[in-house]
Amino acid sequence: MSVLKVGVLSCSGEECLGGTISRLATRKVLEELKFIDTVTLCLPLYLAGGEEERNFAKVFPTISVDGCDKLCAKRSTEKFSGKISGSIDVSKIIGNENALNTKIVRNKDLKDEHRQMIDQVTDEIVKMIGSISPDAYSGKSFHGCGCGSE
Amino acid sequence: MIDHFAILPCNGLDKCAGLISRELALKLCESAENEILCPVFYRVSDKKYNKIASERPLLVIDGCLTRCASKLAAEKGLKITKKIIIAEEAKGHGIKLNDNLRITDQEQSLLETLFDELNKNDDNIVPPPSESAMSCEFLYETFQNGKFIFRIPKNGEVFFNENDCWAYVIGNRARIGVTDFVQQNLSDILYFTPPEIGAEIDQFGELGEIESSKSVFELVSPVSGKVISINEKLVGKPELLNENPYELGWVAEIELTKFEDDKELLIGFDKYFEIMKKKVEEING
Repeated sequence: MSVLKVGVLSCSGEECLGGTISRLATRKVLEELKFIDTVTLCLPLYLAGGEEERNFAKVFPTISVDGCDKLCAKRSTEKFSGKISGSIDVSKIIGNENALNTKIVRNKDLKDEHRQMIDQVTDEIVKMIGSISPDAYSGKSFHGCGCGSE
Repeated sequence: MIDHFAILPCNGLDKCAGLISRELALKLCESAENEILCPVFYRVSDKKYNKIASERPLLVIDGCLTRCASKLAAEKGLKITKKIIIAEEAKGHGIKLNDNLRITDQEQSLLETLFDELNKNDDNIVPPPSESAMSCEFLYETFQNGKFIFRIPKNGEVFFNENDCWAYVIGNRARIGVTDFVQQNLSDILYFTPPEIGAEIDQFGELGEIESSKSVFELVSPVSGKVISINEKLVGKPELLNENPYELGWVAEIELTKFEDDKELLIGFDKYFEIMKKKVEEING
C-alpha cells in the first residue's frame, strides 16, 4: 500500500497572536480533523538540531505555518531541510494587526474571534495538504511504514 | 515567588509536555511581572532577548528529556536559576501524560500544582553559585571490578577520548572532566591545577593537572576551544574528583571552535565503556 505523509512545521512562537493561531490551527488539523497521514514537526526541537525532524522534512513534503512575516518556520525548514512544499503566513489570512497583537492568549481565554481565525488558518492548511502531488516526494519510493526509512 | 523572572519554555508541539510548558509559562506571566523568551525567535534572532536574559533570573521549563530549552540556554551562555522538566514532574506526581496534544483535567491539575510549587518553594529558587546552563544529571552505566565500582555517563551528549577524559557538549559549549578510571587509579587526589580562563586549547592539548600521592595526571582536552570557566570548588576541594568526577568534579568549560572536526577523533559511550573495562582488567586482573 502506498503511504503518503505530509509534515506540518508550525510556528510555536510567543511573540504575537499569529504564533498562537498557527499552533492551534496545526493542532486542529491533527487532533480534530484527524489527518492521519499528517505529522507535526516540533519547531523548537527542529531548531535545536533534531535529526528525525530534519530528515523527515528532507524526505517528505512539508508545509510551514508561520505566525508573522518573520517566517521563522519557513526559513528554518529551507535552511536545514531544503525546499518546502508550501508555506502559510498567518498574518496574510487574519491580518497583520491581529497577527502582531502581542497580548498573549492562553487556551482557556480563546474567544469566538480567535476560533474563527483558527478555522480560517485550518482551512488553508487542509487545502494545501490536498494540493500536494505525489511528485513532491522527489521520486522516492513510499511503499512501507512511511517512517522515512523506505 | 517567581516574579521578575525571564522564562524560557520549550513550547514544543509534538508532545503534551510541550504544551504544558507553554501554558505554565503563560500562567506565570499572567500572575506576576515575568517575561517569556520565545524559544523559536530567540534562536533565530537573539537581539531582542539578550538584555532581559542577562538582567533577570532565568526559569527554564523543558517539556521532555530532550531538553531543547536547556540546550538553547546553554548555547546562549545563560545562567539558569531554576529549571523543571514537565515529563519528570508528571512522573514525580504519578501522572501519565496524554499521548495526544490535549490538556485534559489531569494535565490541568499538574499545571496548577507546578504553578503553586514554583511560587511556594522560595528555597528552590536560589541557585547554587556555580550552577550554569551546563549543569546536567547524567545517566550512568556501571561495572564492578573487585571492590571498585566504575560509572560512565551514557547520555548522547557526552563524548570521550582514549585518555579517559569526557566532554559534555551542548551547543557551542562543552564541560570537561575525567572519568572514574582516572580517579580510581590516582586514588586520593590532593591537588588540582586548573587551566587559565581565556586560554586557547587544541584538541588533545593540556587542560590542567590532577595530582595524588601516587602520580600526576595531565588532562588531555577532548575538544578544542577557549576556556571560559573552571570549577572553582575543585581548587579548594580536589577530593570532589574522587567523590564524583562528573557532576561535582567537572574541571572546565570550553567555548568550542571546531567541534565537528574534533568529533571525528572522539568516541561515544559504547566504545569507551569497552575500552575502560579492558584497561581496568589489565591493571587489576
